[in-house]
Amino acid sequence: MWYKRTIPLALVFVAGLLGFVHEYIPHPLSGEFREEVTTSIRIIGGFGLFIGAYSLLHMHFSRIRRRQSGWGYSVFVFLGAAVMIFLGLWNEGDGPLVDPQPDVMTSLQWGYYYVLVPCQATIFSILAFFMASAAFRTFRVRNLSAALLLGAAIIVMFGRVPISEEFGRLLFGEGGSQLFPKASQVLMDYPNLAAKRGILLGVSLGAIAQSLRILFGIERSYMGGGD
Amino acid sequence: MAIPPSELRRLAITRHVIYVLVAAAVVVPLALGLTPGKFEATPYSHKLFDKVNSLPPGTRVLLSFDFDPGTEAELLPMGAALLRHCFRNRLVPLVMTNIPSGVDLARKIVKEAADRSEPDWGRKQTSGVDYVFLGYRPGDVNLLLNMGENLKGAFQNDYYGKPTEDMPALKDIRSLKDLPLVIDLAASAWVELWIVYGADRFNFAYGAGVTAVMGPDMYPFLQSGQMVGMLNGLRGAADYEVLLEKLDRGTFGMMSQSVAHVLVIVLVLAANARFVYRRLTGREKD
Amino acid sequence: MPEPQPQPTPETPSARRSIELGVLSVLLIVFFFVSFLRHNPFSLSGEALSRSIGTILGAGLTLVIYSFLYRDNPLFKVAENLYVGVTLGYGAIMTWRMALREEVYRPLLLAPTSEALGQALLHRTVPILLGVLLVMRISRKRSWLSRYAYCPLVGWGAGVGISLSVHTYVLQQLHAAIAPLQQAVQNGSLDPLTWGWFANAFFPVAGSLAVLIGTVAVLFYFFFSVEHGPVGRGVSKVGIWFLMVSFGASFGNTVMARLSLLIGRVQFLLDDWLKLK
Repeated sequence: MWYKRTIPLALVFVAGLLGFVHEYIPHPLSGEFREEVTTSIRIIGGFGLFIGAYSLLHMHFSRIRRRQSGWGYSVFVFLGAAVMIFLGLWNEGDGPLVDPQPDVMTSLQWGYYYVLVPCQATIFSILAFFMASAAFRTFRVRNLSAALLLGAAIIVMFGRVPISEEFGRLLFGEGGSQLFPKASQVLMDYPNLAAKRGILLGVSLGAIAQSLRILFGIERSYMGGGD
Repeated sequence: MAIPPSELRRLAITRHVIYVLVAAAVVVPLALGLTPGKFEATPYSHKLFDKVNSLPPGTRVLLSFDFDPGTEAELLPMGAALLRHCFRNRLVPLVMTNIPSGVDLARKIVKEAADRSEPDWGRKQTSGVDYVFLGYRPGDVNLLLNMGENLKGAFQNDYYGKPTEDMPALKDIRSLKDLPLVIDLAASAWVELWIVYGADRFNFAYGAGVTAVMGPDMYPFLQSGQMVGMLNGLRGAADYEVLLEKLDRGTFGMMSQSVAHVLVIVLVLAANARFVYRRLTGREKD
Repeated sequence: MPEPQPQPTPETPSARRSIELGVLSVLLIVFFFVSFLRHNPFSLSGEALSRSIGTILGAGLTLVIYSFLYRDNPLFKVAENLYVGVTLGYGAIMTWRMALREEVYRPLLLAPTSEALGQALLHRTVPILLGVLLVMRISRKRSWLSRYAYCPLVGWGAGVGISLSVHTYVLQQLHAAIAPLQQAVQNGSLDPLTWGWFANAFFPVAGSLAVLIGTVAVLFYFFFSVEHGPVGRGVSKVGIWFLMVSFGASFGNTVMARLSLLIGRVQFLLDDWLKLK
């Protein structure tokens, strides 16, 4: 139906045209218009929180309601969220509208520094173990390409740590201390640069083409399924 | 075809042995307090340091801490070193973040750096005078475009609620165009977004600190001059600390980094030596 | 006739489970003993006490999450789900403080004057309505209403980015690919076969040329619209070599990044929890 698809597509085109054109209009109105748009995006984005929160909490609530395997753990999701929201709104007893001060750690910040930060940092750091294990078990030089990849990886891994300077000094004296770091740098400055630039040009041309397809309504996957 | 149980057990043992080796490679040097010998900063770390060093006292520098706790191990030491440099050289850092889950992390870095610089200054750093913590505003790239026209309009208050309009630290700063240098510390596309919607659009000098994963991808921008310098991973933080002559977390982690890298190299080479041997003797098929 | 598949082995025997529970109990006791020894929270008060308890909690969560390296276990699952909830709660508070409170609650419900309220209504009514429409995405029947909210955002983002992306990613990069070669060739006016010529002309020219050839070869490799002839396949092969070297560099840097994250955590455990420094 036209009001479900055609009007939104028209909105995409009009908004895109405005976004493209306003950059070339030096009049102060153009800047004010962009500030209005930024404020609007801020507000609309704020409402987007409800969608994310609903999706996550609905999934865990369904798990609890249906007593699915591991449903007890989902209780901790609600517990964690409730405690943080309570602490953020309570704010040391001063109610929901008090702003933070430079020298005082609020309860919310306590939850952030001592629960969120350790958990997130640790979850990301665990990848170090998996990466070392995966490299040992699967990285095999079966052909020239793999050999090039391994060679480059070793040069970069060794050249970027200070121990390589000690090693260079040991082998070739003080003058050899920069041998491995320089080898690593040459590899980064020439073949790596060439490949990354090629990839960057290709990807960005594709992204620009995709933006144009979105503006002209050819690309519609962002609208979701249905009517 | 299902993997035999004996093979599963062997793989599990191998996996756990490697985990123990990696843990030992990291923990032992740190626990013993080992530090690497003298090492030189990499060229792009040097360039960023020289750029900050060239700014006269009183210059406002925008630092955007666009990272969250997942990557704080690499980027926090960079932020601490940059702020130390700014305070030492009497520059005025304006700190912001585009990552909502990184707000309090950025706040902590700024506060600790301000407190640590008190001996150098002889007095406590004052928010709004010696530094500004702008905090976070939603808006993504539109925020950058707004800052490029009207910085105080984009941030009407700082993180602590103080109005920016008459703030001494922001005197004569109307927009990003009035800033001689912006440095972004990021683990995401923000490094490039600052170039697209900031540096190239409003013509200010731009430097970055990135996680090591992103380092190789930034070389086209470094070579083209769109970035004046870059700190790459924990090594970048260590480079900056060496140049500042103030060793901290970055440098202290370098011995563990070195040992762990050598371990990974040895493991991969050993595995491939075995693979090549088995291929040459016909025991390994393609 | 297909071969019968080998049956999976039986569950871990109860003896092994008892050993694991025993080891866990010992580790818990050691953890609390070491924590209280290093921090002595009973002698602290105020912010020092909250930091001490927080550090012990943070160290506990860190070690619980690392227990996943042994195997998935209930403690890890608790920590994982707690983290998800805490992140959601924190994100909600930040969104409330930075967006909704500043742009909706304070201007509309705490407006100091009727004039200010009028201005707020003028500028914020439409975005608030669009925000409400955005939330309709949750509903299966009415989700099409959310298109009126996010379609302008998508269009605006695409439109704003086009010209800026062309400038940054295409024009600037093309210039950077060719300019060094031009500069290096200009330097070639020096006398050849001197070290100055090699340093200022030959090596820079060779390097810039290599980068340009590599960039073109990589771009050519990704050009799938036309079938590659013999020459094209040769160029693609060169592109693959450059790509493999760059992937190796990326792999090396990824190893560095992951290990750095682990180093950061270990520094927290050794310096903040165990106070070894």
